[in-house]
Amino acid sequence: MNNTTGNRSETWLERLALDGIVTRLKELTVPADALTWNRFFGALLLVLLVLVFLTGAFMAFYYSPAPGSAYDSVDYALFTLPFGDVIKGIHHYGWNLFLIVMGLHLVRGFIFGAYKPPRQFVWVSGIFIMLLVPAIVITGDLLPWDQKGYWSTQVRISIIGSVPFVGDFMVRLLQGGPLTGIVALTRFYVLHILFLPCLLIFLLVIHFHFIGHRGLSGPLSGNTTSRPIVSFFPVMFNRWLILFLSVTLLLGFISWYWPAPLGDPADPTDSTYVPKPEWWVLFLNQLVTIFKGPLSVIGSVIIPAGLAGLLIALPFIDSSPERHPARRKKVMLVAAMMAIALVVLSIMGYLEHFRASHS
Amino acid sequence: MSKQKKIGFVLFLVLAFGVLLVLNSHEVTGAAKQTVTVAKVKKAPAGLDDPAWQKAKAVNVPFEGKEKFAGKKASVTTKAVYTEQEIYFLFAWEDATKSVTKGAWKYDGQKWGHQPGNEDRISLLFEINRINNFATKGCAVTCHVPEGAPNAKDGKFGTTSAAEKGDLWHWKAARSDPAGFADDTWLTKIGENKGGRKSDAGKGGDKKNMTADKSMPMYALAPGKKLAKNDILLVSHAVEITDYSVFKSGDSITFRMPNTPEDSRADIKAVSRYADGSWTVMLYRKLDTGNDDDVAFNPRKKYNFAMALFDDSGDEDSYDSEVLTMQFSR
Repeated sequence: MNNTTGNRSETWLERLALDGIVTRLKELTVPADALTWNRFFGALLLVLLVLVFLTGAFMAFYYSPAPGSAYDSVDYALFTLPFGDVIKGIHHYGWNLFLIVMGLHLVRGFIFGAYKPPRQFVWVSGIFIMLLVPAIVITGDLLPWDQKGYWSTQVRISIIGSVPFVGDFMVRLLQGGPLTGIVALTRFYVLHILFLPCLLIFLLVIHFHFIGHRGLSGPLSGNTTSRPIVSFFPVMFNRWLILFLSVTLLLGFISWYWPAPLGDPADPTDSTYVPKPEWWVLFLNQLVTIFKGPLSVIGSVIIPAGLAGLLIALPFIDSSPERHPARRKKVMLVAAMMAIALVVLSIMGYLEHFRASHS
Repeated sequence: MSKQKKIGFVLFLVLAFGVLLVLNSHEVTGAAKQTVTVAKVKKAPAGLDDPAWQKAKAVNVPFEGKEKFAGKKASVTTKAVYTEQEIYFLFAWEDATKSVTKGAWKYDGQKWGHQPGNEDRISLLFEINRINNFATKGCAVTCHVPEGAPNAKDGKFGTTSAAEKGDLWHWKAARSDPAGFADDTWLTKIGENKGGRKSDAGKGGDKKNMTADKSMPMYALAPGKKLAKNDILLVSHAVEITDYSVFKSGDSITFRMPNTPEDSRADIKAVSRYADGSWTVMLYRKLDTGNDDDVAFNPRKKYNFAMALFDDSGDEDSYDSEVLTMQFSR
């Protein structure tokens, strides 16, 4: 006779000792409004992250992190493997969509006052995730060893190098020498597939730890104490599964018709190539363009770092319990001005880098 | 959430993603290189004036003169289409003189001599395996390399390593076109004494029509056969001359007789016309010939290629294009 199941034979879950986890998942509940549209971004981010991790892992099977073979290995994965271009496309567009949705998630959290007590550290951990994601994308840019990735990295390296006191050290740390070569590519590869994703997962665990303990922010009005709840498994889980399949199909479709770009192989001797900034760094690039010479540190370090600091400190600067945007006019006004500045700088950057080359 | 909000939300996501796609496409097309887009057609063009060519966008490719043409410019209007199986190129360029002589024999009543004059040609170079920096520097890394480069050999050209392979299509007005082909060759590492230019597997090329002492032609048109286009004698239509007394002053005979190519050397077929001071040339081939000495075109991929134009001139004296991008439309 079995000590735990009596005369009943063990189920597979019991044999695998997973029954406890499944029971806990079944007992896990979330507020019913977690299924509503304004919670959609967080779930979509999680789904996209799983998708880019999976596609990235697939591409890693075929990738060779050496300047002489990196481009050819990506070319092979893209055009020789069945659906290789679709997988690369899902990875490429997945990260781009991730950045868009992350921005929307931030805006939603800000407008709905999701950073207000007691959820300050939900916000802060989210901001750290937001600051980390571009680093993952940037390190991935170099990996195909194409013209765009190589020369974009040169621009970024020069910006990092202009940081006072630590710039040279940072560049040496990243490149492993004065030039972007095999050591740099290996370091970027390890950062992209190992260190930074691990750090991201660690930050996500912290983010969810705070969400678990502080809860999701309630609605702006109405009863916020006795909110209806639904079970996480299977109700929420199924919703995420549907979202995962939908996003995979959508990105797969886009990738099939508009394959992810792969430029010409990197030619370090071709100084005529002018890389165009990614859409999401147009405003930062424009800041670097505006502040030149001895003032460059303002555009490359002081303003971006100030913005990041402001976002991290927001819950402690605007610490009143009031969450309704209409009653937080000062904060909303400042945020609107900053958003307008960001959009204007991005448009200026777009006109300078994209339209100029077509005239 | 109300229905309106839902619709607004979906529209916003679509808009945001649309902007992203536009930015991405600009990033790709923002490069300075010219792009030849290969249009997809259901029915292969049957000739130079086939309506299928109307589907292809014409690209006016500029060429810079080299060596004896230094300082001069030329341009070739280029179109390309593809079917499920084949790719077709159409080239048109102005050329005041039709040059197809290629040293043809002429009899002056006393002796045989070579006529002055070379031939008009156009060539294309694709990568079979990646040639280092070909994508950015084109022919400057294979054909017109700077002094001191590992593959710099006077009058010869090739790549710097065996891993780098190019596919060289070479249409010759006198030596390949009369047989209905472009010469299919490939590029590999340049040797100590030999260039890196190799012929594709199989028979082809041309045969010199001359006696052992090189003083006169050895072959003439076989009875019952006709001269090919431009009055060129094909190897397959030639017969050894047994009686030289039949020739009279002013008679001419082809010196470089085209062979009808076979196997991989016969992959690129050609149709041409010279009219009103212009050449119009159509070259076509299977997208994937299955041969190691040919580039296999995958319509999902982009390709770099460069072209050279020869106006009644030898290998060194050419007009060269910058490297171009070729992409297939869906």
